[in-house]
Amino acid sequence: MGTVAEFTDTEFMICSAARILEDKKTVFVGWGMPQVVAILAEKLYTPNLVQIFEFGALGPQSLTPFVRGTMGGPSNVFRSLQWTNMNWAFSYAVTGHIDYGMIGALQVDQYGNINSTLLGGNYARPKRRFPGSGGGNEVASLCWKTLIILKHEPRRFVLEVDFLTSPGYLDGPGAREKAGLPRGTGPYRVVTSKALFGFDEETKQMKLVGVLKGLKPEQVIQGMGFTPLVAEKLVELEPPTADEIRMLREEIDPSGIIIRGEKMRVPR
Amino acid sequence: MLQGQVEIHFTHPDDFREWVRENKKREAVEKLMTEREAVARLVADGDYIAYDFSSLTRGPQAMVREIIRQRRYGLWVCAEFTLHETALLVAAGCCSRIDVGFLGYGNYIGRAVAEGKVKVFEWTNGALASRMLAGARGIPFMPMRNLLGTDGVKYSGAKVVSDPFTGEPVCLVPALNPDVFLVHVHQADVYGNARIFGTNLFALEAAMAAKKVIVSAEEIIDPLEFRKEPAKTTIPYFLVSAVVHLPFGAYPGGVPGRYELDLEHIDKLNAIQTGEEMQGYLQEYIYGVQDHMEFLEKRVGWEKLQELIRKASIREGYH
Repeated sequence: MGTVAEFTDTEFMICSAARILEDKKTVFVGWGMPQVVAILAEKLYTPNLVQIFEFGALGPQSLTPFVRGTMGGPSNVFRSLQWTNMNWAFSYAVTGHIDYGMIGALQVDQYGNINSTLLGGNYARPKRRFPGSGGGNEVASLCWKTLIILKHEPRRFVLEVDFLTSPGYLDGPGAREKAGLPRGTGPYRVVTSKALFGFDEETKQMKLVGVLKGLKPEQVIQGMGFTPLVAEKLVELEPPTADEIRMLREEIDPSGIIIRGEKMRVPR
Repeated sequence: MLQGQVEIHFTHPDDFREWVRENKKREAVEKLMTEREAVARLVADGDYIAYDFSSLTRGPQAMVREIIRQRRYGLWVCAEFTLHETALLVAAGCCSRIDVGFLGYGNYIGRAVAEGKVKVFEWTNGALASRMLAGARGIPFMPMRNLLGTDGVKYSGAKVVSDPFTGEPVCLVPALNPDVFLVHVHQADVYGNARIFGTNLFALEAAMAAKKVIVSAEEIIDPLEFRKEPAKTTIPYFLVSAVVHLPFGAYPGGVPGRYELDLEHIDKLNAIQTGEEMQGYLQEYIYGVQDHMEFLEKRVGWEKLQELIRKASIREGYH
């Protein structure tokens, strides 16, 4: 399986996330990029992955190309197992049936707490306002393992999020349970356009576990608002394969709306 | 234990029951009317409105445009899954409060919040759906296992209390009984029986929980059809206040199995940055036409509509 000479940071991030998902598992899929990750995974790695969407589609075999903006459109929910509604969709998660949740973030802190609501100012008069939770809070609260996907910009990794929209490990070990969130849940991986993070089992702090081939851990950590733990053995993350890139560019997102990004080259 | 100090839209369950007893007719009467009549009769200044599904899929866009055309004022919107319509309502001066949900998208609405033009309350999609379910169950609140531990508790009207059964914290969200529920459906009859094909957010819950329900439909069908296939009924007639026949009523969004969304028009909406551009849009597409039919004829065109029908090639599951 060959690699390609050039790819975008977004393409790498999508591929990296798609490789983490497991076959024969269930995944709650957020809007936008997570949809593309789930489709790529289903096409190449996890044919028996069961996707679930907050608007009530369970187990679709989504058609490609991915229709941008769609959430609940016919190709998005093609050949589902069930069409239901939002209250039932989240019921699957709260009763423990959903293994993975996959969502994006504006900001994330060392405990995997997510902000997708605002930047700067205060709640009533934010400097910049964003869409808010949508169903992200439910996904991060109720699925067993949450994958957080975000572009690797140091300013997105902060000591304290401007608004805590969706819960990570809150302020450390035991905090989720103490707050009343379901036992044994929480962020599992943070997938970025340069690296992969997990969370320390004891302290629940973010831990660098993998770096895109050719990059040094220092380059990845530099500028982050907190210093993550670093795993003893770092995994070298392979750039996108030729198969992944072909699938993304030719079948899933030929108009390049989701996969576009900063150009990167395979390091020698 | 914990609670935010914010305004909530709340109706005591008994007050709601009495409202239903006095106002919702059990008799099957014809409720077919124009969008103009429906808004004039049923949407008042200051009303709390909710809708299903989204701006891009089976949303009640034509009804929202009519509300704007009639210049309603001070609406409180349940922004569950909403994108453009909330921005349009805010820009047109119709909406002063928003329960979020998902407040997308484009910069226009974000800036309106930052500039304090509209007041927002921070729920989540699931919390608003739970509130609607409580409203439909006739109970004052619904317990949830999420929103806990987050800033959403502070800026919504949720409360965190000790669960009397486990002794652990649980999040309570108050029942939501909207004044108006707008729902765009595939098929309805003149009495208000309605069918949706595909998924929905909370169509039955909201129809049950709302005081006034406006069903807009792609197609009006014979009432006997509902009795032939009762499993397909989404909303029974006595919940419904008005039926409006609005083909392409979800445009620029799509209706699954009927027509696709118009991405070009949606891009035009997304590109709106300034107040001036927004007023230009409102003038051209809403104020500048007298109703939905004129909008379709003069601003969209039959050629475009045919193209959108052609693109909706997936029909399975939608009949």
